[in-house]
Amino acid sequence: MKDVFVLGIESSCDETAAAVVKNGRQVLSNVISSQIVIHRKFGGVVPEIASRKHIENIMPVIDEALSQAGMKLEDIDAVAVTYGPGLVGALLVGLCAAKSLAWALDKPFIGVNHLEGHVFANFLNDRELEPPFMALVVSGGHTALLKVKDYNEFELLGQSRGDAAAEAFDKIARVMGLPFPGGPEIEKLAFWGNPLAIKFPTARLDNPYEFSFSGLKSAVINYLHNEEQAKRPVNRSDVAASFQHAVVEALCQRAVYAMRHSGLRKIVLAGGVSANRTLQDTLAAEMAKIGCGLVHPTPSLCTDNAVMIACRGYFMYRAGVRSPLDLNAQPSLKLCM
Amino acid sequence: MNILGIDTATRVCSVAVTRDGAVLGEVNIDAGTTHSQKLLLAMEQALRQAGLGKEEIDLVGVSMGPGSFTGLRIGLATAEAFAYARKQPLHGVDTLMALACNCREEGRLLSPIIDAQKGNYYQALYRWQAGELCCLAPTEIVNVEKLLERIQGRECLLLGECGKLKDLPGNIEVAEDEIRMPLARSICYLSQRDYNREQDQRIFGLEPYYIRRSEAEELWERLHP
Repeated sequence: MKDVFVLGIESSCDETAAAVVKNGRQVLSNVISSQIVIHRKFGGVVPEIASRKHIENIMPVIDEALSQAGMKLEDIDAVAVTYGPGLVGALLVGLCAAKSLAWALDKPFIGVNHLEGHVFANFLNDRELEPPFMALVVSGGHTALLKVKDYNEFELLGQSRGDAAAEAFDKIARVMGLPFPGGPEIEKLAFWGNPLAIKFPTARLDNPYEFSFSGLKSAVINYLHNEEQAKRPVNRSDVAASFQHAVVEALCQRAVYAMRHSGLRKIVLAGGVSANRTLQDTLAAEMAKIGCGLVHPTPSLCTDNAVMIACRGYFMYRAGVRSPLDLNAQPSLKLCM
Repeated sequence: MNILGIDTATRVCSVAVTRDGAVLGEVNIDAGTTHSQKLLLAMEQALRQAGLGKEEIDLVGVSMGPGSFTGLRIGLATAEAFAYARKQPLHGVDTLMALACNCREEGRLLSPIIDAQKGNYYQALYRWQAGELCCLAPTEIVNVEKLLERIQGRECLLLGECGKLKDLPGNIEVAEDEIRMPLARSICYLSQRDYNREQDQRIFGLEPYYIRRSEAEELWERLHP
C-alpha cells in the first residue's frame, strides 16, 4: 500500500503546532511554538494575545514541520487541522491557513475534533494499539469516558457537568497563587504532601459515567478560606496532594466501573491532565487489579500538539472523510458530534 | 502581472483578480462574521470570473488593517498560506489607503474611516494629486468630535464604516454604496504599485496593523505602572 503523509495543524489554545505523520503511526516532525511564558503574567490564556501569536507563528511553524520531515508541501497527501473545541480566534488562524494550503494545491482537507486528536495520540505511543478500547479524556474543559469501537466509531458514555478536572486544577492553582498553567504546579507541590491529610468530597452523580468537580473545587477553596480566617497555618503540599488525590480517585473509580461493564481490556488516557504521574500510576494499578492494561501518551504528546491531529486526520482520510472548504471553527465542539 | 487581492478587514469579504490594472474578477459579500466560511469560496469564484487558474497568480495582496482583529487574521492566514503554497510573493496593504483608492477623483479630500469600537474610529486623510494618492494626515484613533476637527470644515468624502455617524455637517458627504466599503480591486491596485520584490518574498511573521494592543495588555499596563 502507498505511504500516506498527513500534515497536521493545531492552534486551538496557546500552542501553535504543526507536524508530519506517516501512515498515522510514524512521527516525521513535531513542531510546537508555546506561548505559556507570554500568558503567565495574566494568570491564564488571553484569547486576543493567543490569536496574535498564532498569526505570527503559523507559517514559520508549518514550514519548519515540513523541513524537519524533509518534505515538500507537494508531497503531502492531506492537510488535517483542529476546528474545535477551543478559542475561536485562535482556532481560526490554523483553520484558515490549513484550508488555504489544501485549496492552493488541491489536497484533501480534513477538519479534526481536538478531543478525538488527544485520544489518537495514544496510537503513536503504542504501535499495537487497536480499537476497541476505552478512553478517559481529561483535557482543558472536558472530562469524559469514550468508547472507541473502531477508528471512526465512538460512543460517549459520560462526561463532566460543571467544572472539568483540568479546570478544577487551574482554579485551585490560581487561588493558591501558583503560576499558570496550574496543573503541573499542583502536581509538583503535591509531591511532598500527604494525599490523605484532608478529606475533600467528590460528587456522586446518578449516572456512573458522569463527573463533576465543581463541588470539590468549592470544598478546597472553602477549606483555604476557613483556615485563613482562623489564622491557622496551612500545609500547602497537603492541600495540593489531598485535592489531587480526590480528583484521581473520582477518575479511577469511573474508569474501573466503565471497564467492568464494557468488557474491554484496554484503556487509554487522553488530554493535558494525562501527563499527571499520580493519575497515570494510580490508574495503571487499578487497571492491573482487574486485568486491564493502560496506555498513555508520552509527555510531549499529552499536551496540545499537531502530531495527534495528523494521526486522527490519517484515519479519517483512510475512511474517505473530507471536509468542505466553508468549514468554520466550532469553539464548543463536543465529543461524538 | 496577475494579482489576487483579499480584504476581510470589515464585515465585507472582498476578493479581486486583476491583470495590469484591469479587473478580471471581483466578488464582494456582506459576510458579517462568516469570513472564514466565505473567503475561499469567494477566491474560487473570483478566479473563475477571471478565467485564471491558481497557478497563474503572480502576486497576492492582502488588507493588513486597521480593522476587525479576527477579520484581519482570517485574511492574512489565508493569504500567507496561499502565497506559501504557490511560492508567490505576498504584499500587505493599509486598509484605509485602499479605501481611499476606491474613489479616484483628482483633488478631492478623502477620509476613510473604520470603526475602532467604543465611539472611536481609525481615520486618515488622503487626496489624489497629479495621479498620485497622497496621505495628508496619518491614521489615528479618534472620537467623532476629533474626526470632524481633523477635516477642518473642508469639503470631504467619507468612506468606510460610516453607518453609525448621524447628523453630519454639510461639508461632509458619505460615499455612495458602490465605493463606500472595501473593494479588493484597490488592494490589487496598491499591491501592483508598491510591490517590492525583495521585501515581499518574506511572508513569515507578518502582523496585521492592529494599532491597538489587546485590552488585557492595556489593563495590565494600567495596573503595573
